[in-house]
Amino acid sequence: MIRLEDVHLAFGDNTVLDGVSLEVPPACIYALIGPGAAGKSVLFKVVAGLLRPASGKVFVDDEELGPLNEIELARVRKKIGMLFQNYALFDMNVAENIAFPLRRLFDLSEEEIAERVAERLERVALPGTEHRIPQSMSGGQKKRIGVARATIARPPIVLYDEPTAGLDPVTSQKIYDLVQEEQRAQDTTVMVISSDVAGVLTIADRVGMLHEGRLIFDGTTDDAKASTDPAVRQFVHGLTEGPL
Amino acid sequence: MAFTARAENVSPLAALKNVLQDALAVARVGRRTMHYLIRGKREPGSVARQMFAIGNQSLFFMCITMAFIGAIITFQTGLQSKKLVPDFSMIGATYLKLLIRDLAASVGALPLATRVGAGIAAEIGSMVVTEQVDALRMCAADPVDYLVVPRFIASVIMGTVILIIGGFVAYGSGMLVAQLMFDVSPHTFTNLSLVTMGDLVLGVSKAVTYGGAIALVSGQRGLATFGGSEGVGWATTEAVVGSCFAIIVLNLVISTIGYFFVPAL
Ligand SMILES: Nc1ncnc2c1ncn2[C@@H]1O[C@H](COP(=O)(O)OP(=O)(O)OP(=O)(O)O)[C@@H](O)[C@H]1O
Ligand SMILES: [Mg+2]
Repeated sequence: MIRLEDVHLAFGDNTVLDGVSLEVPPACIYALIGPGAAGKSVLFKVVAGLLRPASGKVFVDDEELGPLNEIELARVRKKIGMLFQNYALFDMNVAENIAFPLRRLFDLSEEEIAERVAERLERVALPGTEHRIPQSMSGGQKKRIGVARATIARPPIVLYDEPTAGLDPVTSQKIYDLVQEEQRAQDTTVMVISSDVAGVLTIADRVGMLHEGRLIFDGTTDDAKASTDPAVRQFVHGLTEGPL
Repeated sequence: MAFTARAENVSPLAALKNVLQDALAVARVGRRTMHYLIRGKREPGSVARQMFAIGNQSLFFMCITMAFIGAIITFQTGLQSKKLVPDFSMIGATYLKLLIRDLAASVGALPLATRVGAGIAAEIGSMVVTEQVDALRMCAADPVDYLVVPRFIASVIMGTVILIIGGFVAYGSGMLVAQLMFDVSPHTFTNLSLVTMGDLVLGVSKAVTYGGAIALVSGQRGLATFGGSEGVGWATTEAVVGSCFAIIVLNLVISTIGYFFVPAL
């Protein structure tokens, strides 16, 4: 469960989140959509406790992040896996990148780690790339390695920032299927940011639309498709006519 | 950061406030460093890698610098003392006391800070701007635990070792200058009669403290990086300036304590 209550955040005089309240119920796929620079990635960082809001409350599994110090936040973050929009892969080979959270969280044998890394790579359609260096790979490949790293420790909450950016339609669909299958299998709580609105709505249970730091829509996927709000309508249906 | 151009044109009072805020931020990183020093999860080889990096980066540079510093101090001391007492028999004894009690650590720590501090801040800072530090935080690796602690341990150990080696080099170059310029034989120069155990303890405590301070200040600066690759440049400058300032303040503190508890004969 993730809950934000009237969250405000600004960088200098650039107001990025301007009173956002939303709730992601447990075992739900929540799609966060919105135009560029709306504050979507910043909102993920607030949920993960990487950025502290200027005001408002953030709850992860009924625990408020505000009063926690960095060491206590680290404990909450163990429940969260995150795919970064800009990959944020480490200067290590692919296998070490993906295995990193496993090594930090559990004491597994090398065989077990190698097995789980291979399984992840299989799932993101990059088998056999263990020894490659991420810096030498394409944007879409790095994205998928990020997905593998975010999910290998099977966290109960996963945040995917643009999981299909830079991917062809077939691989995109594979990634969406992966997100959905694993969410259903483990009842995880998932938030997905995506510019591929049509694609992400095929797997989402609920949708939120962020625009200029405000949540202008929050509801089920069907409500989103039927919304009469001009901005939401325009965005969900990809129209050029409208307020955006 | 209080001393660099990103904070220029502030009133003296605001500047003092900035210094205190920076000190507080470093203290917080220090607290977390101590926490993880005990409870953290060490990656095998991480400390050794950092020790090698620090030694490899700075040993040669430090030896050259300390050789010149030793030569200059001996030469200037010789010139001045010639005017007061035309007797060089104690030049080695006073020089060694000064070197062990303070100079080897305190003067050597400044060039060490430029080399080691800049390296730590640049490395951590570039990980911040590429969001790798955020990724570490999401992968159950507190950046203080994963990045600062191994650098802290390595800087304390390797920094002390390098400062001691630098002290020996300064001793050697001082001896050479004394021989060549003032006809003081190495035998007369090597006079430990004024050096006490207390001096040695004081000198080594300084070296250890400076090594730790360089890592904490530079680590904190690196982690506080913002604003792309230009921000990494700022963080690096601030790390060097901040480390040097910390060394000077800590020298004052430790020397004051030493003045009362480890009297200089
Ligand atoms: N670390 C930062 N420092 C300063 N400003 C920032 C920082 N991160 C984000 N911003 C600002 O916050 C605003 C929202 O950024 P954010 O990355 O959340 O957008 P987004 O909705 O994810 O956009 P996109 O779809 O293009 O990824 C932007 O105006 C951006 O300039
Ligand atoms: Mg974004």
